[in-house]
Amino acid sequence: MAAPLDNGALFVAIGAVPGAWLRFRVVNHFEPMLPRKHWGTFGVNLIACFAIGLLVSLEGSCGLAAGRTLLLLATGFLGSFSTFSTWIAELHATLQHHQRREAVLLCGGSVLGGLLAVTAGLAIGGS
Amino acid sequence: MAPSPTESPPSLRREARDLLLVAAGAVPGALLRWRLEDVGKGLEGVPTGLIEADLVANLLGTFLIGVIVGRHPPRPRLLLLGGIGFCGSLTTFSSWMLEISLALRRGRPDEALAVVLVSLLGGLAVVTLGLAVGRRLGRSRLRR
Repeated sequence: MAAPLDNGALFVAIGAVPGAWLRFRVVNHFEPMLPRKHWGTFGVNLIACFAIGLLVSLEGSCGLAAGRTLLLLATGFLGSFSTFSTWIAELHATLQHHQRREAVLLCGGSVLGGLLAVTAGLAIGGS
Repeated sequence: MAPSPTESPPSLRREARDLLLVAAGAVPGALLRWRLEDVGKGLEGVPTGLIEADLVANLLGTFLIGVIVGRHPPRPRLLLLGGIGFCGSLTTFSSWMLEISLALRRGRPDEALAVVLVSLLGGLAVVTLGLAVGRRLGRSRLRR
């Protein structure tokens, strides 16, 4: 029964481990430097958005070895590198502590910044 | 003072243990997200299905991180394995933004806005629920 592992699963798994490690290290690294830990997560997510836009458009314009490269880099690496759960948990914490300005900045900044980063990535990659 | 050889290995070992815990959570998290995407594609055959599948992974992971963070006293190893590793990898921000951007490019701002709002409000709702469940689990453990 090698079926679940022989196809893309290995690529997804190999991409996921360094993605999660890098997120863990980057967020921990910025924790003492930034006033709030959530700006580390914010930065990680924005970088991932730019990278996925670039990757998808390069795949479209240059035909990178499609399926498996995308599984390794997009689904595995960037999917694990960026995170939704920690972002929402941190957003919830700012709301809980009545830091309304911080919550609006974190929420609006992530969504608008994320969209901008994806668009920039797509444009640079030529689509 | 030079670090004595007996002092440095434990911190290195702790570092290795932390990374191992994160990796052990990240692999099943990413695989589950990928499987959920496939289920979505099979059901719909259109990008909307993919959007919905990402939503399922994101909401599931957000609920679980609430349960983990809500535990009291905090559980550092569970946080590394389940929170940073599993939930962090199960959920994704980049694909979510990509899908929203693609919806906008298709000339469907309504669809893009719906994906933003459902994910955001749904996420805040499930993390609140998760935190409540986590706190309750912590209390029942203390009573024992």
